[in-house]
Amino acid sequence: MIVTPRIVLRLVLIVFVSVLLQVGFFSQVSVLGSVANLLPVVVVAIGLLGGAVSGAVTGFCTGLLLDAMIGGTPGLASLSLMAAGYLAGRWREGYDIVSSLVPPLLTGALTALAALIYGALTLTLGVDAPVSVLALREVVIQGLLGIVLAVPVFPLVRRILRPALVDESVRARVTGPGRSTRGGTFGMMRGQGSL
Amino acid sequence: MYRKQVRRRRAILVVLVVACLMLISISISEAEDGPLHSVQTGVSTVLSPVGEGASRALKPVRDLVDWFDETWQARGENEDLRDQVAKLRAELLDTQDAAEKAGYADQLDELMSDGDLSGYTAVDASVTARSPSLWFETIKISAGSSDGVERNDAVITKDGLIGRVSRVTGGTSEVALITDGESGVAARVAGKGPEGLVSGVVGNPGRLDLSLIQGEKEVRDGDRLVTAGFSTENGLSSRYPADIPIGEVVETIPAEQEQREQVNVKPFADLSDLTEVTVLTSGDSA
Repeated sequence: MIVTPRIVLRLVLIVFVSVLLQVGFFSQVSVLGSVANLLPVVVVAIGLLGGAVSGAVTGFCTGLLLDAMIGGTPGLASLSLMAAGYLAGRWREGYDIVSSLVPPLLTGALTALAALIYGALTLTLGVDAPVSVLALREVVIQGLLGIVLAVPVFPLVRRILRPALVDESVRARVTGPGRSTRGGTFGMMRGQGSL
Repeated sequence: MYRKQVRRRRAILVVLVVACLMLISISISEAEDGPLHSVQTGVSTVLSPVGEGASRALKPVRDLVDWFDETWQARGENEDLRDQVAKLRAELLDTQDAAEKAGYADQLDELMSDGDLSGYTAVDASVTARSPSLWFETIKISAGSSDGVERNDAVITKDGLIGRVSRVTGGTSEVALITDGESGVAARVAGKGPEGLVSGVVGNPGRLDLSLIQGEKEVRDGDRLVTAGFSTENGLSSRYPADIPIGEVVETIPAEQEQREQVNVKPFADLSDLTEVTVLTSGDSA
């Protein structure tokens, strides 16, 4: 990802709007007995598009903003989201995304992982109340909802960050303006310069 | 060049992880009015108007989603409810006398009309934000210290208790719900008297757990729990006013390996769908 002040501004806006949507909408709408978590979906999308450092830094900042807005323990959400963003970035740097199914499935898995890390950290810090096995159900449901959310979120984030994406620039040069490459939507080149 | 990139990536990752661990450590160890909490409260205060505006703007969309959700659920619940209505009609005649003797029905009516809470001022507020995880069941409401809200004030809906104010800023407050893992409410069985502590069950927001402190009398399915609202001569008192409905006992599992029997309680208030709440404010600790 080619980071310019304008791209940083776009990233800040993406994170800010995502947190507002999360606390003001998604967290207040019950789906399948749980709530959809937009934040890991956005962080994973940025990690997949921008690389490990972009994902980790975005996850860290997103978590801090979330904890500031809802009064959670600072650092908890940051750590879990940072892990999701970093792993997404490592995937992008290590493997080609050859199918359009990969981003949603990877997002689902990493969303579930973020929920799992968050729960494990909370348990480690000590919980006085009994813990229901249903907490595991939340992990699974959040993963499934993450898959669904990734379908519109990933292309949207890619569209917003398009000027910063190296592969998009290469593709534009190869195909010329106004032309598209079949199957090239997720065709990212391995190891291309991330942040 | 590549090695340099890898080293830089690892260095940034280590710095971020250390920063997270330091934040967690400081947050847990410092007092509520410590520097980190103060910064957090300050940021929250600054961002609250934006969050509140976003929540208001998104309310129609939330309502639409809720409407679909409720319609879907209502179709499935219709048959069950018909059966329950018939059963409850029969039970009502039997239980009405006993409930009135215990004073519970009267207290419930008084609560709804704020008659029994004459020592408290009711401050209405709307829910503007909610935590995205079941591990911390907190909501943010649109009333703060400028409305007279103080830390530890009880928060109710028309159905009963939902939590207590855990943090206050000028125009907003954070409410720890009774289903939060850190929450504990002194409760008693209405009309009977066995007292205990109601706490949340992490991962299951529709359930509460009752730990009996005075377990001489039997707790049965269908028993209703209200806040105990105790106070002692040396000034120790409950955070909640007495006789606020909490929930209904839905399952008692006799003790076998455990030291005490497990009592599962379903809260009266629908904690998954909170839009309007009422804070019971008071100058004294409730």
